[in-house]
Amino acid sequence: MNLSLELFGALFVHELSFWWVIVPSILLGYVVGAIPGFSAANTIIILLPLTLTMDVEVGLAFMVALYCSSRMGAGIPAILVNIPGTAGAAATPLDGYPMAKAGRGQQALAISFVASTVGGLLTTVLAIFIMPWLAEVSYHMHSVEMIVIMLFGISLIASIAARDTLKGLIAGFFGLMIGLIGTDHVYATPRGTFGLLELYDGVPLIPALVGLFAVSEAFMIIEQRSILTEMGLNILRGAGWSATLEGVAIALRRWWHITWTGLIGLVIGVIPGAGAAIASFVAYQQSRSFSKTPELYGTGHPEGLIAPESANNGVTAGTLIPMFILGIPGGATAAVMLVVLQYQGVNIGPTLFEQRPEIGYGVFIVMAVTYLLMMLTILPLARYMPRVTMARTVYMAPLIISFTLVGSFVPRDYVFDMFLALLFGIIGYVGRRTGYHVAAMLIGVILGPMLEQYFLRAMKMADGNLMVLFSSNIGNALWAALIVSVALPFALEYKRNRRRATGAA
Amino acid sequence: MTELAPSHPQEKRPVGGELIIPVASLLFTGYYVSTIVNSPWTAQVSALFVGSFLALLSLIFVVKAAIMVRRGEADLSVRDVFNATDRETGRYWLLLLTVAYILVVEWGGFTITTFAFLTAAMLVLDKGRRPAYIALLAAAFSMGGYALFIFAFDVRFPVGPFERLMKWLLT
Repeated sequence: MNLSLELFGALFVHELSFWWVIVPSILLGYVVGAIPGFSAANTIIILLPLTLTMDVEVGLAFMVALYCSSRMGAGIPAILVNIPGTAGAAATPLDGYPMAKAGRGQQALAISFVASTVGGLLTTVLAIFIMPWLAEVSYHMHSVEMIVIMLFGISLIASIAARDTLKGLIAGFFGLMIGLIGTDHVYATPRGTFGLLELYDGVPLIPALVGLFAVSEAFMIIEQRSILTEMGLNILRGAGWSATLEGVAIALRRWWHITWTGLIGLVIGVIPGAGAAIASFVAYQQSRSFSKTPELYGTGHPEGLIAPESANNGVTAGTLIPMFILGIPGGATAAVMLVVLQYQGVNIGPTLFEQRPEIGYGVFIVMAVTYLLMMLTILPLARYMPRVTMARTVYMAPLIISFTLVGSFVPRDYVFDMFLALLFGIIGYVGRRTGYHVAAMLIGVILGPMLEQYFLRAMKMADGNLMVLFSSNIGNALWAALIVSVALPFALEYKRNRRRATGAA
Repeated sequence: MTELAPSHPQEKRPVGGELIIPVASLLFTGYYVSTIVNSPWTAQVSALFVGSFLALLSLIFVVKAAIMVRRGEADLSVRDVFNATDRETGRYWLLLLTVAYILVVEWGGFTITTFAFLTAAMLVLDKGRRPAYIALLAAAFSMGGYALFIFAFDVRFPVGPFERLMKWLLT
């Protein structure tokens, strides 16, 4: 698996020739990423009859472009109207939405787009050259290591709770408890399902996401004329191209932040089953832990926006690595791609890179081409899309409710899921009104079942011996890193306070 | 920890609303535990760990709220959740229309039900102003949704008479 620069160049030019399929796929990806309930995986499945008739390279270009751009698309409503298009963008509104409300939607979108494309491009190029080593990561990540990675994401609840510890922790643990609804992973015993068969598989994510963010937001915003503050409205009215360029400059100045949070996404993406939601929560938490200004997170801080967006785009290249080298898809979209490749008679494995480099390496190079072409859309999208936030809420709220509720119907075809989304909407509304953070609840709902699954698997293998949690070297190193990342903000805060006190004296 | 001082010097803090989620958490945890008492340990272990933390945190909040009420710093009002703005903004109507939308969409189909919901909800929220504009907006969005999701991408949206008619006309 050696890629020479000459071959890289030839493949790059070859993949660029598929621009005619990549560009429409990018635009489609923005749309399906932005609507809760839709995803790249769903869309590829829906369009499978079309994809299967395409030449294998064209089909791959279509799927990869859709996959990459849907990640960026999911961040658009998360920033503008506080509605993440997918669970992978659930950490994006924490800092993106406050920026949009303050009339800085152009800067926020530009920051998000630059972080997505630059983060995605860097991690893709890196993935091409260190693929064999990255594939090893998925071999070493077992239940114990995954438990610690989940805890990295869950520790974000503690950061959110920093502003009101008790309420933050109640919200997070309430979410974790809701996440435990469904049958247990070993004996399939139903738990907390209220006798409803629809809950036996657990609480579906899309209704939870739609309810906690979209429906509750729609019921909140109708008190105001627009979601913007009066000052924000004036700022946005007067904003021109300079505001967009300012956003680009803010993001580019933080290139190192984009790089290392993108790397978190790449490594987590390699682990089968981990995915963009965990990557973005972990990256946000790590970004906050190592920040010099952690108190600004949650108020519209550019770094709080860069971290989840760069990480969830880093995941895209990561999920394809175990698929192409080991035949294990790293996520749902990768799994659908695997089906298409197998249908086309492509044999997955390390030999693919020698025998058919235009497919093995080509898939990553087409990803790089996609990110480059996506960069061309940054300026116009960031310049004009924030205008949406100027729309009157009396029109926007019913649109949000109807389209997101139907979006929650789509994955399972259950009207029940629409009622579930409404119930989560009411919980989210009460939470917002009384100071319980909906993001903390959502983290619990998303990560709770995964944590339980890995925990039970580890305990089952160790016959209930809790010491199994400290039985692997990688796991122990991760435990140490977790303790450092949780303790570091307190240590830095202590140091700052001491310095301040010394300065005052 | 939680700020328990009144938000305004003269005004008592309405903790009734803030108690909704802790009380709901306690009730749900109690119900959840009742469903796993006879289950194997694998079904119990996570729930007992998370549930006991949640119950403890919720109880702390309930006790703190009770102390505040006893000291006269707070009352059990729920005015931060339910108040006059709900009626003024049409929030109750929006909730009722949303429930109706979910009930009807299964047999009414996406296009017609969405058009009716958007028109009714926008009219209620905008106090009956600009009905023609609202009807046009609702028609544009419901038809746009049909064209993009059902016609172009064949997404499994709820199907009703309009979708069936269009399918018959187009085949």
